[in-house]
Amino acid sequence: MGTMGLALPWKARISSTPRERGTRVEPSEHFAGGHHPAVVDAPSEDAALAAACRSGDLRAYERLYAMHGARMKNLARNVLGNPIDAEDAVQETFLKVHRSIASFRGQSSFITWTYRILINTCYDARRSRLRKKEVANEDSEETPRHEPRAPGAHPALRMALERALAKLTQHQRDVFLLYEVEGFRHAEIAGMLELTETASKNTLFQAKKNLRLMLEPPRSSAAEAR
Amino acid sequence: MKNMNVTCNDRDRIFEDGTLAEWAALEAHATTCPPCAEELGAWKSLSFAAQELRDYTESPALWPRIERALAEEAERKTLRAERRGWFSFFRNIPIGWQTVAASAFVLVLTISAGWFYLHPPRNGQPGDQSLLKSKALKEVESAETTYVQAIDKLAAEAKRQLDNPATPLLANYHEKLLVLDSAIADLRAQAGMNPSNAQLRQQLLAMYQEKQHTLEEVLETKQ
Ligand SMILES: [Zn+2]
Repeated sequence: MGTMGLALPWKARISSTPRERGTRVEPSEHFAGGHHPAVVDAPSEDAALAAACRSGDLRAYERLYAMHGARMKNLARNVLGNPIDAEDAVQETFLKVHRSIASFRGQSSFITWTYRILINTCYDARRSRLRKKEVANEDSEETPRHEPRAPGAHPALRMALERALAKLTQHQRDVFLLYEVEGFRHAEIAGMLELTETASKNTLFQAKKNLRLMLEPPRSSAAEAR
Repeated sequence: MKNMNVTCNDRDRIFEDGTLAEWAALEAHATTCPPCAEELGAWKSLSFAAQELRDYTESPALWPRIERALAEEAERKTLRAERRGWFSFFRNIPIGWQTVAASAFVLVLTISAGWFYLHPPRNGQPGDQSLLKSKALKEVESAETTYVQAIDKLAAEAKRQLDNPATPLLANYHEKLLVLDSAIADLRAQAGMNPSNAQLRQQLLAMYQEKQHTLEEVLETKQ
């Protein structure tokens, strides 16, 4: 696997800012920082929101949007590569939730169910983009073309990471995005992607191993290559 | 906490599913083991790098757009419910009688379509008007209404499976039904403009039957 020729910013790597979500016990939460919208919805709150949405109350959907809209759009953007498709996917997800809320039986949390719909919607959009490409006889590989976004602290790092993520398997990419970027727990990810918690952990491990090799191969293997 | 001994061999396992105590032990081990220190640093850096993909800036136009789409859909839902309300009496009839009514409609429609086929109307003649009001046509239309209600009932029963298709087969049925509904709407619009066109009525009948069979197949997959 080739290197992206980019050194990770070791000096800046450890942030002492804990994640806002106090309940995630995986060690990586100690290293990652940054702002998160509220994610951990108490079961009763989750059920109340589901019931309000089922009753057709648009304010309930607005509450769902206020709690998760930004994160849903960010996830969709990372899967689809641009903000326009991401907004379309979020809107489509809300419509699908509205259409099928009657069939939601609470087997998983309402939020987990909503994200599952979002992820499926994103991949439907990717597939339909791929079909259009095939009709147009273009390159059949569907790799999201990431449009530039507002510059972060390390734009080169972000671009390298986006390129490396595009080379992962779909599951590895999803788990990495959900865990490391969006801050979900493995139990939540398992519900969203219909995996076991163990599979989610293992997939994250494989994803990070591959990313590590792509972004900066260990010095020992670089020496071997010489 | 009692000190825990970990070695380089434990590293990957801890990365994958280590407890907090195991992570602390690995950190301690890394202070004296450069390869583990390098790997640990790289592992943490990936979590740091992931923050670069986090952009929760506001999209002020997105919620109003979603709200509008939701409101429009809710309105369509209400209209559909009202339309069904007109025939609510039908829904209270036992399913067996609905099937009988549906079969009767197919029979009336087939006979009427045949009659129209054998006695084609001559376009543009004043006699057309009386034909439009003919008893046969009225029967066709009334039976059609009954049959459509029977199919709506089937559709309502299959709705849960179709809205959230659990298998690719159900997703295919869903797509097929959407195509059929669109074709039925087109044919009904054409039949509305030219009610005595037997060929249109026959096509419409074929579409309804196809829809009925598809819905029955959907409901069978439930078992
Ligand atoms: Zn070691």
